[in-house]
Amino acid sequence: MPNATTRADAARAVIFSPLEGAGRAELVEQRLTDAIVAGVLRDGERLPSEADLAKFLGVAPVTAREALVALRHKGLVRTRRGRDGGSFVTYDRDASTRMLEERVRALSRIELRDLSLHYAAIAGMAAEVAADRASDDDVQSLVEIDARADLATPGGARRAVGRFQLEVAAISQSPRLVHEELRLQAEAGALLWLCLRDQEYRDRSRESRLEVIDAIRAADSTSARVATTAHIGSAVEWLIDEKVRLEAASDSPIARHEGSSP
Amino acid sequence: MTQALATGADAIALRVAAVIDPVFALIDGWQQELERLLADDPEPRAADLDPAIASTVAAELDRAGTLITGAGFVAAPGYLADAPWHLAWWLSDANTFRPAPGGGIRRLEAVSDPDSEAFRDYTTLEWWRVPERTGTRHLTGPYVDYLCTDDYTVTVTTPVTVGGEMVGLVGADMYVARLEQVLLPVLREATQPCTVVNASGRIVASTDAHRATGALLRLEGLAEMLAPVRASGGAVAPTDAATLPGGATVVPCGDTSLALVVE
Repeated sequence: MPNATTRADAARAVIFSPLEGAGRAELVEQRLTDAIVAGVLRDGERLPSEADLAKFLGVAPVTAREALVALRHKGLVRTRRGRDGGSFVTYDRDASTRMLEERVRALSRIELRDLSLHYAAIAGMAAEVAADRASDDDVQSLVEIDARADLATPGGARRAVGRFQLEVAAISQSPRLVHEELRLQAEAGALLWLCLRDQEYRDRSRESRLEVIDAIRAADSTSARVATTAHIGSAVEWLIDEKVRLEAASDSPIARHEGSSP
Repeated sequence: MTQALATGADAIALRVAAVIDPVFALIDGWQQELERLLADDPEPRAADLDPAIASTVAAELDRAGTLITGAGFVAAPGYLADAPWHLAWWLSDANTFRPAPGGGIRRLEAVSDPDSEAFRDYTTLEWWRVPERTGTRHLTGPYVDYLCTDDYTVTVTTPVTVGGEMVGLVGADMYVARLEQVLLPVLREATQPCTVVNASGRIVASTDAHRATGALLRLEGLAEMLAPVRASGGAVAPTDAATLPGGATVVPCGDTSLALVVE
């Protein structure tokens, strides 16, 4: 009875699959796009040269060039010739809104929910463990992060959420959870917390933060996890409503008319 | 019986201290060296200071068998004329965070631009905050060092003072995993289960494999007993062994701010 162990075979198949499934240029493009959207690479910043980019990322120069062409096409990068030339990030407020809306439209509801589930698994577990491991000083540092939060702007509210979630992960004492939290924030933070555009959601995110702090202070692991995952759940439900709104707007006759006008 | 236990525990606590003390001695030496150097410098600049710090910490970071994996100087904001926020921190090749291709020590690349999304104000972190408040050395951790290397770390730091003003601090990082490796053989000489905790009661190493490093040791009365150590940042150590209501004995490990709990 050969190969009865299908589970092991599936695991082997994962191990021996090509390291990069999708096209490498798309992977480079996606990584740079995520970094620009997350604000790691900033408006006006000069990107490394094609040759350096290829070297840093371990891809062929032609792959790096392809990715830069795609970024140029998306309007995220501008290329200047000459002595002070190079590729520069172009990412102002309009570009940011456009890019995020494009991503909300491009991802399916299934993908959006899956993303939030992945994030909730990390952040929820971090909160659960943090409630067990937080010292009084740890609780105090969470209180201080909350006190410094700027709820008047979407950017300020998002930074506060990111800072808070990172600290919770650190309090869990798990380097892997911290690492994954940072990675997911860079990849999807700007998208997931798009709801913080609404003042109502900024206020709600604060309420949920206070709930998490109370649960951690009380060493109540279950409540800390539930409050964290519920917060992420409400963010993705907003995102899905937003997707419906964006799709309805682009399907409407007015939008089509505007889209085709010169 | 109780007396014999206390003596055994005392000896082990001292040996735990003897593991940490050389690292404290190391940063105390760097502190004095740097204070001498900076006292004569009317306008200190990062560009001049960095090579001096690199050569100061390199010898220890390169030494085979050293306990430390990172070390350096962190400037008070605005102290250096050419770098408002400045971390001059080096990592040894034992450090698994993006090791240098050719081995040897390398500089930690930190974000020092306050406008950047990735920037973190290091003056809010424990390894800065506590020595700033107490004016003396401090042991931070175990904690996940997400500012620098994402590793599970213990950091010791001590203020650098010029003209009565704290201008920065020097410090060193140790991996908790490595520290556990060094401490376990010492702890295993005890005849009873024993655990090393920091001033917050957080477990550093334990002979009981189910006492997880990083978890809080929740024994009745322990937090209260450690409170003065925590408040002083380790400057005040409980001087004598004491017994908790549940019967466990708590022995300070010298003046390291760590304590040995014998159950």
